Amino acid sequence: MNKKINRAIKKRTNELIVILLLISMSFSGCFSSEQESDQEHDFELNIATYDVYALTDEMIENFENQTGIKVTMTKLGDSGSVLDFLIQNKGNNAIDLAIGLDNTYLQIAIEQGILIEHIAENLENISQKALTPYDGPLAVPFDMGHVCLNYDSNIVDGLNMTIPTNLWNLTEEKWRGKVAIPSPVSSSPGRAFMLATIDYFSNSGNNNSSMGWEQWWSAMEENDVIITSGWSEAYETHYTGGYGEWTEGYIGDAHVTVSYCHSPGVESWFNDNWTKSATLDIPGSSFFQVEYASSVAGGNNIASSLFIEYLLSEEVNSEMPIQNSMYSVLEGQDLPEEKGYLYHSTIPQDSAQISMLEIAENMELWLQKWNNAMTSGD
Amino acid sequence: MRKVTSILAVTLYATIILLPLYLALQRLVWVTGFSPFEWIDSLNNNYISQGVIEFTVIQAIFSTVFTLLIGIPIAWTLGRYKWPFESFIRTILTMPFVIPSIIAAMGILTIVGHQGLNLRTNESTWWWTLIVSHAWFNMALVIRFCEPVLSTLDPELEEQLRLLPNGQSRFSRLRNLWLPLLTPSIIAAACMTFVFSFTSFALVRWITVGNNTLESMMADVSSSAGIKGYMESTSKIVMGASVIQFSILLFSLWITSVIQRKRQAKLPQSSPLHSQKKNSRGWLILIPAIGFALLPLISVGIGSFRIRESIDDEIRFRWGLEGWYLAFEGSYSFPPLIDAMLNSLGYAIITLFVALPLGYLLASTIHDLENKNKRMARVLDIFTMLPFALSAAMIGLGVLLGIIKLDVSSAYNFWPLPSLAHIMLTTPFVVRIILPTIRSLDDKYDENARVLGIKKFKRFFKIKLPLIKGSIIIATIFTLAMSLGEFGASFIVARNSDWTTLPLLIDSWRAKPMKDPLTSPASNAVATVLMLITMALFIFAERFRTNRDGGMF
Repeated sequence: MNKKINRAIKKRTNELIVILLLISMSFSGCFSSEQESDQEHDFELNIATYDVYALTDEMIENFENQTGIKVTMTKLGDSGSVLDFLIQNKGNNAIDLAIGLDNTYLQIAIEQGILIEHIAENLENISQKALTPYDGPLAVPFDMGHVCLNYDSNIVDGLNMTIPTNLWNLTEEKWRGKVAIPSPVSSSPGRAFMLATIDYFSNSGNNNSSMGWEQWWSAMEENDVIITSGWSEAYETHYTGGYGEWTEGYIGDAHVTVSYCHSPGVESWFNDNWTKSATLDIPGSSFFQVEYASSVAGGNNIASSLFIEYLLSEEVNSEMPIQNSMYSVLEGQDLPEEKGYLYHSTIPQDSAQISMLEIAENMELWLQKWNNAMTSGD
Repeated sequence: MRKVTSILAVTLYATIILLPLYLALQRLVWVTGFSPFEWIDSLNNNYISQGVIEFTVIQAIFSTVFTLLIGIPIAWTLGRYKWPFESFIRTILTMPFVIPSIIAAMGILTIVGHQGLNLRTNESTWWWTLIVSHAWFNMALVIRFCEPVLSTLDPELEEQLRLLPNGQSRFSRLRNLWLPLLTPSIIAAACMTFVFSFTSFALVRWITVGNNTLESMMADVSSSAGIKGYMESTSKIVMGASVIQFSILLFSLWITSVIQRKRQAKLPQSSPLHSQKKNSRGWLILIPAIGFALLPLISVGIGSFRIRESIDDEIRFRWGLEGWYLAFEGSYSFPPLIDAMLNSLGYAIITLFVALPLGYLLASTIHDLENKNKRMARVLDIFTMLPFALSAAMIGLGVLLGIIKLDVSSAYNFWPLPSLAHIMLTTPFVVRIILPTIRSLDDKYDENARVLGIKKFKRFFKIKLPLIKGSIIIATIFTLAMSLGEFGASFIVARNSDWTTLPLLIDSWRAKPMKDPLTSPASNAVATVLMLITMALFIFAERFRTNRDGGMF
C-alpha cells in the first residue's frame, strides 16, 4: 500500500517538476521573445498612407535592402482617411510614419498631437516653395501641385464655347450640368478647390454684386453642378477631356472638372505627347497643395526618419512626376520635358492664399456653410 | 452537454456580432449624444445624405419586383422540367450571387458602355441598368427558394386537382395549387432580394452615379465617424442612417424568418425524377437566362486581354497577356495574384472551420427551441440574420475600436483577423441552409437508435450526419465561395492590415487611376481567377445537392 502511495507521490512530483519546467521555459520564452520583439520593432516600419503611387515596389525594396528595416503599409482611402485613422489610433503606437497628409489636414494633425519631430537629416535641398505652407519639424513635404479647373479643349474650342474667364461664368446656362467637382466633404482635391473659391471670392475684384463664395456654390447647385464623392469619379467618369473615356462606367457629361494644373501634362505623358485636356487658369481659383511625410507620436522615429530621408533623396523624389503624377519638392527639379509633360502643365497665375492655421480653425465652419449653400435651394 | 454547446455557440456568435456593435454605438452616442431625432434629421440637413432614404427604398422595391419577374419563370422552367447538364445550368444561374459586386459592376458597365450598347451617355438609362443589375445579382435567390418546391411536388396532386371543378383550367390550378404553394417561397425570396438591394454598394456607386444607398453614402463619410470634437456631423449621419437601415431590414428579415418557418413541407413530395418531364420550349427561357447570367462575367474575362494603346493621337485596343503578367508579378502597392489567392484560400478555410460548426450548432439550437420555447426560437432565428441588417460602417467602426482596445500591435500582426469578418457574414448563410434540413428530419430515427442503446456521438455520425450530408456540403461550398468573394467587411477589417484578398486586390487595381493602360486588364485578370475558382466550387457542390434539402440554397 505504502509502495503504491510512494509511487503515486513520486509520479506526481515528477509531473510537477515537468510542469514547472515547462512553465519556466515558457516564461523565459516570453522574456526572450519580448526582447526579440523590441529588437524586431526597431527594424519594422508601419506606414499609414493612401494610394501614393510613388511608393513603388523597387523603391520599398531598395529601402529595405539598404536599412534592413521591414516596411508594412496600411492603405487608407485618401488624405482625409489617413488623418481620421491617426486620430482613431492615437496613443496606440501602431503607426510609425504617416504619408499623404496635405496642407488642408496637417494643422489638424498637429493640433491633435499625433505627430512628433522627425530626426531626418540631409533635407536642405527642399525648395522654398514646398516649404511655404509649413516649414516646421513635424512634417516634411514630399510632393506638390496646384489643384485647379481643367477643361476639354476639343469641346470648348470645338463648339465655339467661350472659355470661362471667371468662376461666375460657370453659373451660366451654357454650363448647366457640365461641371464636375468632387465633394469637399469626402475628397481632398474637392476640399482644396472649396478653399480656393473662399479665397477667390474674398478678393473684391472677383465679386459679382458683392456676393460671396457660398452664393457661388448655391448658383452652381442651381446650375446642376455634378458633385462626386471623389476625384476619380469626377475625372474618370464625368470629364470628357481625360483618359476616363476609355474606362468602364464612363459617362462624359462634364467638360470642366477639378484636377491639378499639371493634369493635362500627365495626360500627354501617357498618350505619347497628345492631350485634349487643358488647364483653366482663372486667376485666384487654384490651391497650392503640398503632401507631407510625418513621424507619428509613439512610433519608431528612427525608422520613420530614415524613410523620410530616403523619400526626399534625389533618387526617389525626382521620380515623383512619373511615379506619382505630382511635382518633386526638391530644388532644381521640374516636370520632364518628354512627351509634352512640361509643355501641357501650367503654373497658375495666382493661387489661393489661406494659411494652414486659418484652414484648421475654420474648416468645419466652412464645410457647414458649403453644406448650407448646397441645400439652400431645397 | 447539448445545452452547454448550444449556450457556447450562442454566446460566441453574440460576442462576434454584438461586441463590435456595442463598441460602435457606445462611441457614436458619446460623440453625438443620445438624440435619435437629431440623427435622423441630420440625413435631411446634409447635402451628402439628402434624398438617400427615398432612393434606397424605391430602388430596392423596383429591384425586388423585377427580380421576381425574371426569377420565377426561370425557377418554374428549371424546376418543373428535366434538363441536360442541369447541375451546370444551376451553377451558372447561381454564380452572379456569389460574385463580388465590384466585378459585376465592371462587367455590366462594359456591356452598357461605349464599347457595348453605348447607353451610359443617356442618364435616363442608369436607373433601369441598376434595377436589371440587381435582378442579375439576386435572381439566384428566387430560383433557389422556389425551384425545390416546384421540382419535388408529387405530380399526382396536380392530376387529382385536374379532376376537380376548381382545377380544370390552367388559371384555376395556378390559383388553387401553385400560388398557395409558391407564395411563401416567393415572399421569402422577395424579402431577401429587398435586403440585398437595399444594402447594395458597388453596383449603385458605379451605375447610378450621383445617387447613393444608405450603405454607399455611409462609406463616403464613415472614416471620420466616432471622433469627438472633429467632424461630428458625420457621426450623426452614420447613426441616423444605421438606425433607419437596421429598422427596415430587421422587419424584412423577421418576415423572411416567419415565412421560412411556414415553408416546411406540408404537401406530399416525390423525387424530382418522377415529377419532371421534358419541355423543349423551355429553352426559350433558359438560354436567355444563361446568357444573362454569363454575359457580364464573360465581358470581365475578355477585358483582361484588351490592352489600350495610343498610336498617332488615336486610341486603339489590341489583344495581349500583359494584364495577366502584371497581375501575377504584382508590385508593392499590388501584391502578386498568387499571394492574394493564398490569403483568400487561407481565410476561406479558417472561416469554414468556425462558421460551419457554429452555424450547425445555432441551427440545431433554434430547432430544439422550436419544440420547447417558440418565442425564444423566433428571437434566435432573427438574431442569426442580424449581420444582414447591420451597416458595414457600424461594424467597421466597432471592429476598429475592438482592435484598439486589444493589444493593437498584435492585432495588426494577427493574420487570421480578416476571417472574423467572413465568419460574421457566412454564419447566417450556414444557418439558413442547414435549418430547413434539420427541421425536416424525422425524429423517429434518432429515438429508435436511442432505444437500441446507441450512444449520442455514434447516433450523430451514423444517423444524423448522413441525413444532413447534402446541406452540410452545400453550406461548406457556399461558405468557401462567400468567403473568397467577400469584399465589404474584409475591406473594413483588412484595411488595418497588410493582407490582401482577391476581391481587395481587384478593388486596389480599380482604385488606381486608369491612365495606365494595364490597370483595367490586370484587375480583370484577378477577377477572372476569382470567378473560375467560384465556378469550380459550385460545379462540385451541385453534385451533392438534392432539392429535398431545400433551404436557402
